[in-house]
Amino acid sequence: MTPDADVVARSKTIAPVRATTPPPESERPTTLMRLAHVGKDYAKIETRAGRMRLVFDLLRGRAAAHAYRALDDVSFTLERGESLGIIGENGAGKSTLLKIIAGVVKATRGDVDVRGRVGALLELGAGFHPEYSGLANIDLAAALLGLSQREIASKRDEIIAFADLGDHIRDPIKQYSSGMVVRLGFAVATALSPEILITDEVLAVGDESFQKRCVAWMERFLDGGGTLLLCSHSMYHIQKLCAHALWLKDGRVAQYGPAEDVTRAYLAYHEEKSATAKAGMPLAEAKASGAYAIEALDASADQVSQGDDVSLRGRAYSPDGRAPVVVVGIVRADGTPVFGIASDMDDVAVRRIGDHAFEFSITFPALPLAPGKYWLRAHAADPEGMRVFDHVERDLVVRGRTRELGVVHLAHRWHDGVDR
Amino acid sequence: MMQGAASAWTTRDRASVLRARDRALFAHFLRRELTSRYLGSVTGLAWALLSPLALLGVYDFVFTNVFRATGFAGSSFLAFVAVALWPWIAAQEALMRGTLSLPGYAGMIRKVAFPHELVVLASVLATLALQFAGYVAVLVVLKLMGQPIHLSGFALAIPIWLIVALGISGIALALAAVQVFVRDVEHVLAPLLMILMYVTPILYPVSLVPESVRSIVAANPLGWVVERLRDALLDGRLALVWSDAIAVVTALLLFAAGHWVFRRLSPHFEDFV
Repeated sequence: MTPDADVVARSKTIAPVRATTPPPESERPTTLMRLAHVGKDYAKIETRAGRMRLVFDLLRGRAAAHAYRALDDVSFTLERGESLGIIGENGAGKSTLLKIIAGVVKATRGDVDVRGRVGALLELGAGFHPEYSGLANIDLAAALLGLSQREIASKRDEIIAFADLGDHIRDPIKQYSSGMVVRLGFAVATALSPEILITDEVLAVGDESFQKRCVAWMERFLDGGGTLLLCSHSMYHIQKLCAHALWLKDGRVAQYGPAEDVTRAYLAYHEEKSATAKAGMPLAEAKASGAYAIEALDASADQVSQGDDVSLRGRAYSPDGRAPVVVVGIVRADGTPVFGIASDMDDVAVRRIGDHAFEFSITFPALPLAPGKYWLRAHAADPEGMRVFDHVERDLVVRGRTRELGVVHLAHRWHDGVDR
Repeated sequence: MMQGAASAWTTRDRASVLRARDRALFAHFLRRELTSRYLGSVTGLAWALLSPLALLGVYDFVFTNVFRATGFAGSSFLAFVAVALWPWIAAQEALMRGTLSLPGYAGMIRKVAFPHELVVLASVLATLALQFAGYVAVLVVLKLMGQPIHLSGFALAIPIWLIVALGISGIALALAAVQVFVRDVEHVLAPLLMILMYVTPILYPVSLVPESVRSIVAANPLGWVVERLRDALLDGRLALVWSDAIAVVTALLLFAAGHWVFRRLSPHFEDFV
C-alpha cells in the first residue's frame, strides 16, 4: 500500500474523493513503470563485529564490504492496463524486485520510475502492526496512504466485508492465521483503488473461496483498465491473469515475454532440473552407501513407431549379493506415469551373473503408446521389494500419425456402426 | 513514494503532499503510542505515574531519615529532588523507548515505504508528554502540601523540557538506528544511564561536591537542565543566562547529528530490523 505521491497530489488538488475519480485521460501516463538495469546488493554479515563495521561503513557513505547480489540488471516496462507475472524459484529475487518497485528498498544500481498509485501486498501482509487489532491496522494503512480518518471511514465497511473475518477484525493481528492476514491485506490493498496492484503470493495462502474471490477481483480490475504485477508460483494463475511474464533466476532476468512462452520454458526448466536430480547416484556412491543400483540400461531403440516392439536390457548391482527386485516403467515426458511393473510382481527373478551383479531384460511387444516423447525407467529395489533405490532412464520417442486422443492406443470396437 | 521516480507532476506538489501524509502518519503513531502503551491499560498509566512517585518517596526517606542529608539551600529535600528527578526519569524512559521503538514496527518497515524516523519521534514525544503531565501534577500536589515550589517557574520549565525533548530525540534517533544493526545498544544504555544519573547533581546539590571535581560535574550538560529547573521552580528566578543559549545550540546539534545518522542507516533497516 504505497501511494504514489503524484497521484495523491493530483487528487488532493482536483478531487477530494480521489479513490473513485479517475484523472482526465490526457493526464494519465501510459507507461506506469520503467525499470532500467536495476540491481540490489545486500550486505553479507556473519559476525557481530561485521554488523558494527557495516554501521561505520554506512555512516561514511560507503557500500558494505561484503555484499551479495540479490538482483542484477533487471529491465522492463509496464504499460497501463498491462499485467505482468513474476516467476522464479525461491530466492531468485522476486520479493526484492517487488520491494524496490513499492519503494520499500532502494535499488543499489539502475533507474526505477513508477507512476500511479501503487497498492502493494508484499510477502503476505500489507505491513501490519502485530499488536494492533484488524480495525486499528485498517486505520494505520489509511494513514500510510495519507487518507484522513473521514476518508477511511467510507472505505472501512468495504474492507471489512471483503476480508470477511467476522469478529476477529477486533483481535490483534498477531493472533491471525497467515490466511487471515492475507485476506485483510488484500482487502486493504484493493479497497483503495490502486492503479497498479502488486501482490506477492497472495493466492497461495488464502483458502479456496478466498482465492476465487481474489482471482475474480483481479480479473475485474484488469477489465477495468487496472495494471497488475503478480508474483506467484502457480503457473495456472500467471497464465490466467497475466499477458506477460518475467522469469527471474539468481537475480537476473532469465526470460521476459508472453506469459505462455515464459511459463512453458520455466516448467521445462523445472522438469529438466528434477530429472537430473533423480538421475540416480553414481555407481561408486551407491556401492559405498550399500544401496541397490542399476549399473547399466540399454533400450533396443530410442525411436520406434507406434506398434513396434521395444526391449530393455540392463544390469543391477546388489550390495549383499541377494537378487534385487527390478522395477521397469514408462513415463511420459510431462511426468505422467503410463505403466510400471516390478520383477517380483511377475514372480520373475533376475539372473545372477556375478557375486554382486544381476542381469535383466524385458520386452514390450507391439507398444500401443500414442506418439510423443517418453522415458523408459529402471529402478533397483531391495529383494523384499520394499525400498526403491535410484533409477536410470532412457529417452524413447514414439513416432506415428494418428488423430487419436490420450496416451495409449486401446483396442476397441464400435457396435452397430454404419460406414460413412 | 518512489524517491527516484521522475514524474509528470511537479516536485513541489509531491513534497507538500508527502508532508501532509507524514503529519497524519505522525499523529497516528503518537496517538497509538499514547493509547496502546499507557492509556490502553489501567496498569500502564498507573505504572507510568507511580514508578517515579515511588522512587521519589524512597529517595526522600533514605536521604532525609537515614542519611539525614542537609544543605539544600533552605528548601526541603523532597522538593529539591522532585524538581530534578522527574525530568531525569522522563528523559531516560523516552530515550529507552525511542531506542527500542523500531523493532515493533518491523512488519511495516519491511513492507511499506514511509519515513522511519516518525516511529522514533512519536515514541519519544509520547513518553515525554505523558511524563510532563505527571511532573506538573506532582509539583502542584507538593505545592499544596506546603512545599516551596514556584509554579510561575513553569514559564521557564516548559522551554527547558522542549530543549530536552529536542536533544533526547536526536540521541534516540541515532541509538535507534544503530540498535537495528547492533542489538547491544540497549544493554549498554541501561548501566550508562545509571552512572549518568549519579554524576548529575540530581540527588545532591553541586555545592556538596568537593572543590576538586566540581568543575567537571558542573560541565555536565545534564547539570544545566537540573540547575535551571531548580532556579525556576524552587527559587522563582526566571532570568535567562548565557548557558541557556549554549543548551539550545547543543540540543539543535544533537538533533541534527542524530537525524543525520538515522538518515544514513534507515535505507538499510529493511534487511536487519
